[in-house]
Amino acid sequence: MCETYDTEPLALKIKLIRKYLKIKILEDNVQFQDHEIERNHVHDLIKRVISHGESHSALIIGPRGCGKTTLINTVLEQLESELDLESDCLIVKLNGLLHQDDKIALKSITAQMQLENAVGDRVFGTFAENLSFLLSCLQSGADRSCKSMIFILEEFDLFCHSGRTQTLLYNLFDITHNKQAPMCVLGITNRLDVMEMLEKRVKSRFSHRHIFLFPNDNIKPVDNYKVRLIQLLSVPLSLTRKCGGTTKKKRGGRRKSVVTEEEMDVELNDDTIQYAVPAKVFTRCKVDPKQFQEFDENSLVYWNSHILSLVENKDIANALEKLCYFTVNEQIFRNILFQVVSRLNETSPHIDVAGFVTTIDNTVGQEHRVKVLQSLSILELSLVIAMKQGMDIFDGQPMNFEMVLHRYKKFVDKNSSTQTVPRPVILKAFEHLQELEVIMPVRSTDSIYNTGDTTTSGVQKEYKLYTLAVPEYDLKEAVKTSKSLPTEITFWFNNEIF
Amino acid sequence: MKELLNKVPCREKQLNTLLDLFGEYDEPLPYSIFISGSMATGKTLCLTNVLDYLRYKHITIDCIECYSPKIIFETILAGLQDDDVETKCETLSDLTNYINKFGDDKITYEPIIIIFDRAERLRTMDQTLMCTFLRLREFCNLNICTVFVTHLAYDNFYFKIGALEPIQIFFPNYTRDELFKIIILNHKTFIDQMLSQHKIEEDISNELAEKQLFANFLNAFLTVFYRPCRDLLELQHMAQINFIKYCEPIIREEIKASDVDRLWRHITPVLKSSLAHLYLRISEGKPVSPSKENKTELHKLYNFENSLKEELMSTKTFAQSFELPYYAKFLLIAAYLASYNPPKEDKRLFMKNHGKQRKRLQQVKAKAKVTEKLTTQLGPKVFTLDRLLAIFYAILEEKIGLTSN
Repeated sequence: MCETYDTEPLALKIKLIRKYLKIKILEDNVQFQDHEIERNHVHDLIKRVISHGESHSALIIGPRGCGKTTLINTVLEQLESELDLESDCLIVKLNGLLHQDDKIALKSITAQMQLENAVGDRVFGTFAENLSFLLSCLQSGADRSCKSMIFILEEFDLFCHSGRTQTLLYNLFDITHNKQAPMCVLGITNRLDVMEMLEKRVKSRFSHRHIFLFPNDNIKPVDNYKVRLIQLLSVPLSLTRKCGGTTKKKRGGRRKSVVTEEEMDVELNDDTIQYAVPAKVFTRCKVDPKQFQEFDENSLVYWNSHILSLVENKDIANALEKLCYFTVNEQIFRNILFQVVSRLNETSPHIDVAGFVTTIDNTVGQEHRVKVLQSLSILELSLVIAMKQGMDIFDGQPMNFEMVLHRYKKFVDKNSSTQTVPRPVILKAFEHLQELEVIMPVRSTDSIYNTGDTTTSGVQKEYKLYTLAVPEYDLKEAVKTSKSLPTEITFWFNNEIF
Repeated sequence: MKELLNKVPCREKQLNTLLDLFGEYDEPLPYSIFISGSMATGKTLCLTNVLDYLRYKHITIDCIECYSPKIIFETILAGLQDDDVETKCETLSDLTNYINKFGDDKITYEPIIIIFDRAERLRTMDQTLMCTFLRLREFCNLNICTVFVTHLAYDNFYFKIGALEPIQIFFPNYTRDELFKIIILNHKTFIDQMLSQHKIEEDISNELAEKQLFANFLNAFLTVFYRPCRDLLELQHMAQINFIKYCEPIIREEIKASDVDRLWRHITPVLKSSLAHLYLRISEGKPVSPSKENKTELHKLYNFENSLKEELMSTKTFAQSFELPYYAKFLLIAAYLASYNPPKEDKRLFMKNHGKQRKRLQQVKAKAKVTEKLTTQLGPKVFTLDRLLAIFYAILEEKIGLTSN
């Protein structure tokens, strides 16, 4: 199969392809497919804010990894090519994870508006005062009446902290109403119930414009994955002749061409352009796109056909289908692709079908708990089994060390062949189990001592109550598959309850 | 590459995965990696060796040392900057700002890796912290990757708000053969340690240094110890203690080094008894004083075992030998009775005028024997001071003032 490559610079070529693909998989958060309607909606919204000075607010809701942030990024990029974004508007991005309380958020807003100097050492009484001061600064500074502003709040649900007042949200939504400045507030969240978390005064100021984003609206998930696989792993042929800059310009015009058409004939140069990484991404990564011009066209064509043949492969199709049952999260999918791509090297210049399938298997069916159980020593595993049987007998009641030990001793007495270890060693093994969180201490609220919180701290460790934190089928699986387990323990696990 | 594999034995698969994921210097890193595996399976060893080999910039954070978010942030920043500038950093947004600033100054797309060792501790901090670290790359314009090392499975990390799933690598425990291979690599340290403890003639020490001898010992050792323990560190420690004992008859020229059977017979009881001290580290103080041991060489084996047992018992004997005052003893007994007997039986057990109840007392005792196990298994119950004093007076049978003594 390697004949199409020249043998000598093979390593270099693979390295380049690998690097290109890695960048594409990880860094490319601008390109966005499907969801035409939603995209146009957001696009219109922002455009109206910027060019007509209207104020809007909207929520983008969709499950994790369906491309909410990417949607915003594409729209912004598209707008950048159409309008003069820099002078016309200010984009403030906040993230619920980072800006946990209003103070930090405000600080960040100030920084992103580049108004630190204006604020200086001023002390503000309320949040609202501070915010309106910031806005007035903008008004006086520019020669226009006011710049329009776009607030993008990621992890919107985290801004609705329960308990504290939602001052930030209230003020932001309030400004969208009082026409002080044209402003657009876009919230991004994955929680459907986010509206219930809003305060009444915040809710009433929100425009109730929801944009729902669901993956695979009009396309089967398997097909979607296949399309994405081709898109993410193919290399644009244009790289050989044009440098990154021209590629990008062309892309704008051609992106609307139908996806299926491109699948048909990848050989046509123009169509592969959509597989290219935008130049912006390269500059962010500080990578010179020119280094990719050394690709020679034949090998690229060969590579792309290799990718196409991958999709045709039955095993991969099956594995992808399996992945669909598990998740439609694109980020997980990208992680898988990344792992696959990172395995490319001189000795294995092709994407290995078996490797691809096992990566998916590992992601889907991680039975880490079983693995943890298997890695236990025989003593520890028998303690777990003893505990499980004890809980069977007592109908799921939590057990303490003494009970487990009692049950274990019973087993050991019946089987003289097992080596006995003294009690302190067993206690150590028990503590080890606790550390691995195979067993969990029972919360003190439902304890039988009804003395409240003091029980967990007051009782000696031998008498602390524990429940088994691993489900029974995991244990069964572990016992079944572990290799060096003595037969009597397997036997004990399977039949006897005494 | 070869060197790396030699440094970390029996972990080829994991090393290769790590190397693949980290790729080459100018390639982007993955978002985050999650490494799990039981204790002493070489997780941190693999990781640090790979990073040293690749010469990437990496910051290691031990989540026990860095117990609060602020310390974590500041350690990260201190690690990023080459010169020692103390930067104050309280919040996550500060951190990303600093990191971004740092990234803007750089011209190259340098890979940076942040390692969180013992990441299970991160769960006790704010939930958003770990979620953020999982996707730190998204917030920074740097080629940055977070690696979490922990002994828990990813299932144990549960986020209410959901998080970006990391790439997961699992380190299984070493199998018996692998343990054998690894311990035998340290053969030389075993010999050195023994030579430092005993004065041994040249030809015998040569005999002792032979690999075959050690391999034989290790086989015997692992058959006994592999069942209750898979922890490499612990096994290595126990092997060290036992190997010295294994060689003693050879040093005394009682058994020839080639006589495997007799050596085996000699070592089995020793191994059995030392199994009792697994994990407990009781014997640690003993082998440090070599000069003393040399003198009493003949009795040493016997003594050594005895002293171990003594020490194991020492906590018990201490409690037994501890002489309490007269009344305090009764108080202790009363406390025991109060904590293990149900309060409703107090009347029967301690009241003077039982009359017919005497017979029933025996029934109660018979019944108690059956349930005894269960009650002792449940552990002591809580009792009030009044009850303790009441029982105390009941068993004491003489009247003393509450404040006397």
